[in-house]
Amino acid sequence: MIEISYGILVFMLTAFLVLDGSSFGAGLLHFVVGRNETDRGVVISAIGPLWIWHEVWLVAFGGMTFVAFPEVLASAFAGYYLALILLLWCLILRGIAIEARGHVRDALWREAWDFAFASSNLLLATLIGVALGNVIRGEPIDSQGNFTLSFFTDFGVHGQVGILDWYTLSIGIFMLALFSAHGASYLTWKTEGAVHDRSVRLARWLWPIVLLLLLGTAIETAAVRRDLFTGMIHRPLAWLALAGVAGGCVAALLGQRRRRELTAFVGSCVLISSLMAAGATGVFPVMLRSTVVHENSLTAYTSATDAYGLRLALIWWPIACVFAVGYFVFIYRYYRGKVRVKADAQGY
Amino acid sequence: MNDPVFWDRLQFAFTVTYHYLFPQLTMGLAPILVYWKWRALRTGDETYAQAARFWAKIFGLTFAVGVVTGIPMEFQFGTNWASFSRYSGNLIGQTLAMEGMFAFFMESALIGALVWGERRLGPRGHFAAAVGVALGSWLSGYFILVTNAFMQHPTGYAVAADGRLKLESMARYLDNPWAFAMFAHNQLAALVTGSFVVASVGAWYALRGEHSRQARLFLRSGVTVGLLASILVAFPTGDIQAKMVASHQAPALAAMEGRFHSGADAEINLIGQPDVREQRLDNPIRIPGLLSFLAFGHVQSDVRGLNSFPVNTWPTNIEILYYAFHIMSGLGTVFVVLMVAGAVQLWRGRLEQSRVLLWLLLSSFPFPFIANTAGWTTAELGRQPWLVYGLFRTEQGVSAVVNSGAVVFTLIGFIGLYFVVGLLYLSLFCRELMRGPVAASHD
Repeated sequence: MIEISYGILVFMLTAFLVLDGSSFGAGLLHFVVGRNETDRGVVISAIGPLWIWHEVWLVAFGGMTFVAFPEVLASAFAGYYLALILLLWCLILRGIAIEARGHVRDALWREAWDFAFASSNLLLATLIGVALGNVIRGEPIDSQGNFTLSFFTDFGVHGQVGILDWYTLSIGIFMLALFSAHGASYLTWKTEGAVHDRSVRLARWLWPIVLLLLLGTAIETAAVRRDLFTGMIHRPLAWLALAGVAGGCVAALLGQRRRRELTAFVGSCVLISSLMAAGATGVFPVMLRSTVVHENSLTAYTSATDAYGLRLALIWWPIACVFAVGYFVFIYRYYRGKVRVKADAQGY
Repeated sequence: MNDPVFWDRLQFAFTVTYHYLFPQLTMGLAPILVYWKWRALRTGDETYAQAARFWAKIFGLTFAVGVVTGIPMEFQFGTNWASFSRYSGNLIGQTLAMEGMFAFFMESALIGALVWGERRLGPRGHFAAAVGVALGSWLSGYFILVTNAFMQHPTGYAVAADGRLKLESMARYLDNPWAFAMFAHNQLAALVTGSFVVASVGAWYALRGEHSRQARLFLRSGVTVGLLASILVAFPTGDIQAKMVASHQAPALAAMEGRFHSGADAEINLIGQPDVREQRLDNPIRIPGLLSFLAFGHVQSDVRGLNSFPVNTWPTNIEILYYAFHIMSGLGTVFVVLMVAGAVQLWRGRLEQSRVLLWLLLSSFPFPFIANTAGWTTAELGRQPWLVYGLFRTEQGVSAVVNSGAVVFTLIGFIGLYFVVGLLYLSLFCRELMRGPVAASHD
C-alpha cells in the first residue's frame, strides 16, 4: 500500500513536470522563437488556455503528499521555506503575465508582460531543476526529522549543505536545457509559421546538448548519490525506466530529424517521465535523505500516514483519476491541431 | 515581535483573506452564469448569451487570480504550519487532496472552454462547460469547508499512540454537522457577493444610459438572487451557524457579543466598544433578552460570559472578533433592506428610473466582500486559541525550523506582489466594464 502511494506521488509529480514543463520550456524560449508581438502571441496561444490545467497537477501532488506522507510534507516544505515561496511567486507571476497580456492590446504593455512571462519561466525551469537536485543529494536532516537549508554554504555536497552547490546547480542547468528542448518540441508540434521554424532550428541543437548534459549529470549523480544506481540493479521497474530513457531520447532525436513532430514531443515526454521513474525507483524507499546521519533519513515506510487513512485515499484516488483521464482526453481533442491566432481573440 | 507564531498567523491571515476575495466572486457568479446559459439555451434570446459571454470573461480573470493566490494557501500548511500538518495530515490531507483531484481538475479543464469555446462547443456543449465549472467551484468550496469545519469542531478522528490524530471514520469526518452549516452559510454569502456585483454593474450601465437590455437583465438577475441570498444567509443559515457556536464554542460567542459576565436575559449589543482590560462594554445600545433567545430559544436562557471560562481559553483577539461579528451582521441586515427595496421597485417595473436606488446598488459592491471577510474573521478568531478546537493550540502548529525573519521576508513579498496583482485585476475588470457586454466577442 505504501509502495502504491509512493508510485502515485511520483506519477503526479511527473505529470506536472511533463505538462507544465512544456509551458515552462516554451515560455522561456518566448523571445527566442517570438521575435515580434504576433509571434509571441502564437507562443502564448499554445500555452494560454492550458496553464491552469497544468498547474493544478502541482496542487494535486501537494495534496497527495499531504494525505499519504504528511511527515515528508512537513519536513520538506518547512526546510525549503524560502526556496518554495520563491517558486510560488514565480508561478504567480507566470499566470498573471499570461492573463494580463491577453486583456490589453498595446505593444508596450504586451512587451512588459512578455518579459515578466519569459523571465518567470526561466527561473521556474531552473528552480525546479535545483529542487530535484536537492532531493537527490539530500538534506541535513536531524534526529527529529527537521532540517533547514541556507541558500548556499560551501558549495559542497556533504554535511551542512546549502540549496545551491555544484551538484544542484548543474542539475538546474540540465533541467533548464531539458525543459527548453521539451518546449521547443512542443512548439514545433503545436505551431506553424515563423515560430515553428525557429523551434525546429532550436530543437536541432538543443537535443544533442541535453544528451551530453544527461551523460554528465548521470556521472555526477553516481558520485553524489551512489545508492540511486545500486538501488536500480535489483529492480526490474528501474530497467524498464532506463529503457524508457533510451527510447525517449531516440524518439525525440529521430522524430525531430524526420519531421515527425508528435513523435518527437512524445519522445520528450517519455524521456522526462522515465528519468523521474528511474530516479524514484532507484532511491525507494528513501524520500528525504539525510546528509548528516544516514539513520535520520525519512523513508516511505517511516513517514507514511496511518493505514486506514491511506487505504481510503487509495480507494478514492483511482476514481478521481478516471475523471482526470476524461478531462485529459477532452482537452487534447478540444485543443487538437496547430494553434491559430485570430485577430479578435485577445491573444488566445 | 521575534515570535514566529505572530508572523505565521499574520501571513496566513493576509494571504487567505486576499485569496478569498476572488473565489467568493467566482462561486457567486457561477450559478448565475449557469442560469443565463440555460435561459439562452431554452429561449434562444441573445441577451442571455451576451450576458453570459461578458461575465464569463470576468469569471475567467477572477478564476485565474484565485488559482495563483490559492496555491500558496495549500503550500503554507507545509511551509509555515509543519507541526500542524504532522499532527493532523491524516485527516485534513484527505479533503485537501480531494479538492485537487476532484474539483480543481474539473474546473481547470473546462475553464478555457467556458471562456473561449462558445462557438466551438455549440450551445449545449458550452452550457455543459458552464455547469462543470460551477460544480467544480462549489465542490472545491465544500472540501475546503470540511477541512475548516474539522478545525472548528473535530469529528471522525482518534488519537494515535504517538499523540497525533488519525482518521477513524471517513463518514463522520465528511459528515461533520459544522461543515454543512458552514457550507450553506458560506455559499449563500458567496451568492450575495456575486449577485451584488452583477446588480452593481447593471446599475452602472443603467445610470449611464448604456446597454439598456443588458442593464435590465443584470439588475433583474442581481436583485432577485441578491434578495433570496441576503435573506437566506441570515436566516436560517446564519442562525444555525450562530447556534452551533453557542453550543460548541461558548467563549467565542461571549467574545463576539462583548459579553464579559454570565447571566440570564442576555442582551444583543448593537454597538459598543469592548474594554477587555476593564471587562466591560462601553457606550452600548442593547436589546435585552435577544441573545438568550437567538442562542438558546428562550429570552430567560442563561448565556455564559467570558468570566466563566479560564483566561487561557479566551479568544486571543477579542476586540477584532467583536467588531468582525458586528460588521458582518450589521452589513447583512443592510443587505436585506437594500435588496427588499430593489425587489419592490423591480416588481413595480420602476427600478431603472429610481436613480437613488441605482446609486445605492452601484456603490454596494464592496460591502459583500467586507461582510464575507468579516464573517471569516469571526469564524477564525472565534476558534482561537485553538488550531483544532479543544485539541491543539495555535502556537503548537507552526514550523519549528522557520524563524520570524524568514516569515517577515515572505510576508513583505506577498504584500508587494498581491498589491500589484490587485491593481492589475481592478484595471482589467474596469476595462471589460468599459468595453461593455455587447462588445464581448464569441471567442
